[in-house]
Amino acid sequence: MKENIIRIIAGVSIVCFWSMGSIKAQSALDLRINEFMVNNDSNFVDDYGEHNPWIEIYNSAYNMVNIGGCYLTNDLSNPTMYRIQKGQDITKIPTRSYLVFWADNNTTRGILHLNFDLKESKIIALFDANGKTLIDSISITKKQQTDVSFGRLEDGSATWGYLSKATPAANNLTTAKVSAADVFGAMDPLGVGMTIIAMSVVFIGLAFLYLFFKYLGRFFLRDKKKQKQGETKPNENAEEEDEISGEVNAAIAAALYFYRTELHDTEATVLTINKVARAYSPWSSKIYGLRKNPK
Amino acid sequence: MEHSGSFIDFVLSHLSQFLTYTAFANMTIGHVIMILVGLSFIYLAIAKEYEPMLLVPIGFGILVGNIAFYPGLQVGIYESGSVLNYLYFGVMNGIYPPLIFLGIGAMTDFSALISNPKLILIGAAAQLGIFGAYAIALALGFSPSEAGAIGIIGGADGPTAIFLSSKLAPELMGAIAISAYSYMALVPVIQPPVMRLFTNKKERLIRMKPPRTVSKLEKIAFPIAGLLLTCFLVPSGLPLLGMLFFGNLLKESTVTKRLADTAKGPMIDIVTILIGLTVGASTQATTFLTAKSVGIFALGACSFVIATMGGVLFVKFLNIFLKEGNKINPLIGNAGVSAVPDSARVSQVVGLQYDKTNHLLMHAMGPNVAGVIGSAVAAGVLLSFLY
Repeated sequence: MKENIIRIIAGVSIVCFWSMGSIKAQSALDLRINEFMVNNDSNFVDDYGEHNPWIEIYNSAYNMVNIGGCYLTNDLSNPTMYRIQKGQDITKIPTRSYLVFWADNNTTRGILHLNFDLKESKIIALFDANGKTLIDSISITKKQQTDVSFGRLEDGSATWGYLSKATPAANNLTTAKVSAADVFGAMDPLGVGMTIIAMSVVFIGLAFLYLFFKYLGRFFLRDKKKQKQGETKPNENAEEEDEISGEVNAAIAAALYFYRTELHDTEATVLTINKVARAYSPWSSKIYGLRKNPK
Repeated sequence: MEHSGSFIDFVLSHLSQFLTYTAFANMTIGHVIMILVGLSFIYLAIAKEYEPMLLVPIGFGILVGNIAFYPGLQVGIYESGSVLNYLYFGVMNGIYPPLIFLGIGAMTDFSALISNPKLILIGAAAQLGIFGAYAIALALGFSPSEAGAIGIIGGADGPTAIFLSSKLAPELMGAIAISAYSYMALVPVIQPPVMRLFTNKKERLIRMKPPRTVSKLEKIAFPIAGLLLTCFLVPSGLPLLGMLFFGNLLKESTVTKRLADTAKGPMIDIVTILIGLTVGASTQATTFLTAKSVGIFALGACSFVIATMGGVLFVKFLNIFLKEGNKINPLIGNAGVSAVPDSARVSQVVGLQYDKTNHLLMHAMGPNVAGVIGSAVAAGVLLSFLY
C-alpha cells in the first residue's frame, strides 16, 4: 500500500517539475527590449523637443514590474553602465505596457536619458538589479535606416525586423488585432467545433478523476481484504465495525431518534431546562472588559 | 413683502427641484416591471420556499436596483464611487464566485463520488447543456463571447455563470446571473418531464448498490488529486476549482476544522448576501430590459433541458456496457448539472414516485457534485477559447 502511495506522489512530482520550465517569474526578468531607433531625424520627439535615438522596454508580465535598479548598457563588459534610478513612479511599467528611454548620452535631462549614444553602439543589453543577470539583449548588426525603427514584429516575440511604423510606447503590431473569440466564431459559426472540443476536454478531465479513484479504491479494497486474511484470530467486534453499511447506520440513527423522542416529555406545559455550566476563564470574564471609573 | 415672496419662490423652486430627484419623477415602465419581478422572486422564496437563500437577496436587490434615481448622485450600482458600486466590484472582477466555491468545497461531501467513481462521468455528460445553448445562441446572432457566457447557464451553477460572464460579456452578466439562479430554483419544475420523456418504467425502477464506505485517506486524496488532474488540463478553471478543492481539503483533513467552519459558515453567508444583493441590483431597468435579456432567458431554459437530457441519455448509454446489478438508474442523470443539492433531490422525488423504497438521493449526489467540477472545467475551456 505504502509503495503505491509513494509511486503516486512520485508521479505527480515528476509532472510538477516537468511543467516548472514554462512558469513565468512575473518579475524584472519578464522585461524585454522591444524596439529601438538609432537614426531619429524627424520621428519621435523627446520632452526637450529633440530627435534622439530611443529604446523601448516592454513588460511582458501580467503584473506591474519596476525597472528601477536595473541596468542598461551598450557594452557587455560593462553591464552596470547606466543604473535606472529606483524609487520613481515613472519606472513602474504597468502590465503589458512600455517605457521609452532616450539613448542620447545626456543624463542631465532626467532618468529616462541614458549615458550612452545608440549611434555608437553595437549592442543593447538590459541587466537585472544585481548587475550580473542578463535579462535581454539585442545586437545592432543590421544597417539602421533613418527614421525606421527595428523591433520585435509582435510585442515580446522572438522575431525581429524593420517596423513599417515606429511605435514607441505602443504595440508593435499595428494591424487590427482579431480577438480569440472572433477567430473561433469565424471558424466555427455553428458551435459544433466548440461542443466537440470542450466536451472532450471536460470528459478527459473528469475521466482522469474517474480512473484515479477507480484504481485508488481498488488498492484500498485489496488492502482491506489482505488485512482480513492476515488476521489469525479475527476479532468479531472489529469485523462487525468494519462491515457496518450505510443502511445499517441509517437504521441505528433512526432507532436512536425514535428512542430519544419517546423519552421526551410530551406535555406541552412542561419545560425542559438544561443547566449550562461555563468554566471561568480570564478570556471570557466580563471584569476585564469593564471600563474603570474615571478618577 | 417682496422679500417673503422671493422666499416662497425659493421654497417652491427647491421643492420642485427635490421632486425631480425622487424616484416618482425618474420612474419608467421598465422600473415598474423589474420591481414586479423582484416582488415575485421574494414571494417565491418566502411563500413557496424556492431557493430562499438566493431569491430573497436577489429579489430585494432587484428592488434596490430599480428605485429610479437622478443620475450623477453616486447612488446607482453602475455609478463610480457609489457604495453599491464598491460592493459590485467583487462581482465585476470575479472575486465573489471563487469565495463561494471555497465554501461549497468546505461543505460538500464527495464520498458518494469516490465510492462509485463512474458517476463522475455523468457530471461531464450533463455539461452538454452549456454547449447546446452556446450553439443556439450563435445561431440567434449572439457573438461568440456572449454565446459562451450565455451557454454557461446550462451548468446550473450561479457563481460559475457570474464568474464567466464577468470575463466574457460583462454587459450581459445581470441577465445571465438572474437567468441561472431562476432556473436553478425551477429545477424541480423543469427536470422531471425531461427525465420521464427519456426513460421507461423498467429503467426508472433500477436499484443501485449501496455506496461503500470511503476511507479518510481517499477523502483527503480527492481534493489534491482533483486539483492536479483538472487544473493541469484546464488552468483557466483554477480560480473556481482551486478554491473548491481547497475548501474540501480544509474539511476532509479534519485538522483545520475552524477554517472549514468559517468557509462553509460565516464566509459563504457574507459572500452570498453580497453577491445576491448586487447581482439583483445590477438589473437596473435601463440596462437590463432589452431584447437580449429576453433571449438569454429563453436560452437558459433550453440549456437546462439539454443538460438534463444529456445526463439521462448518457446513463442509458453507460448501462449498455454495465453488467446486471451494476446498472445505474437513469433518473440520477439529471443530477449531472451542478444545482446542488436540488437536482439530486429531484432524482430522489421522481424515483420515489415509481418505487417508494428506492432511495436515489445518495447516488444522485455523486453526479451532482461532479457537475460542480464539470461546469467549472467547462467554464475554464470557454475562457481559454473565447477570452
